[in-house]
Amino acid sequence: MSPLSAIPQTTYNFGTMPGMDAARPNALPTPDIQAPTPLGQPGEINPSQPAGDSFGNVLGKMISDVNAKQNAANAAVDGLQSGSGVPLHQAVIAMEEANVSFQLMVEVRNKLLDSYQELMRMQI
Amino acid sequence: MIQPLSGIQNTVAALDAERTRIDVISENIANANTTHGVDGKPYQRKVVVFESALQQAMGAGNNSNMTSQLHVARIDTDKRPPLEIYEPGNPDADARGMVATPNINIHEEMADMISASRAFEANLAVVKNEKAMALQTLSIGKH
Repeated sequence: MSPLSAIPQTTYNFGTMPGMDAARPNALPTPDIQAPTPLGQPGEINPSQPAGDSFGNVLGKMISDVNAKQNAANAAVDGLQSGSGVPLHQAVIAMEEANVSFQLMVEVRNKLLDSYQELMRMQI
Repeated sequence: MIQPLSGIQNTVAALDAERTRIDVISENIANANTTHGVDGKPYQRKVVVFESALQQAMGAGNNSNMTSQLHVARIDTDKRPPLEIYEPGNPDADARGMVATPNINIHEEMADMISASRAFEANLAVVKNEKAMALQTLSIGKH
């Protein structure tokens, strides 16, 4: 609620500026030099700080999981090559699991980047 | 821990078990003519006994996710008596000239080997299918 309540206030300030149409006090100022200043304000007011933190935690856990899978696959291949009794199929399946986990992580990363770029392209 | 290929642990256990079975069959075939084993007696055919054990699925707290996993219970010996053939020149021949040879029928071992190899292949097909399903599901997000 706080960033939404902040925006009308700034637009109201622009509405009272000279040169604006008095009939539309809530209209957004289109060709204004000071337009970038209100853009910065919603970024400063971030009410979802704990939520963003926990999402970061979830992401970090996923990445460390994928890392663990890669390490397990490495250990299996090492065991296979050093002849310490790891069967071939276990090494191959560990590699496949690591591969699929990695692709899942890449997909999540692509989705995140896509949504970030979508946000950056948004018209204010 | 994420499990991108669900139920793969059961398949890995089955692959392990079939691998052991093939190893034992190859040991049987290799020793088909061993008349003097480690204990001085002819080699006895070995048989793999499978059993399935309930295994708690990873990350599950309730009993509904118990899966039965195949593993090798024990490697037993075939109780059939050794085959006696007449071969007086053999150093292992007894007073009558009879040599006790292992109770191994090579045709039986071959049939067992085909069975084990096909079972291994079936489990590999399961792995392949799991991977294809996972990759197809991941391709939902692609554009």
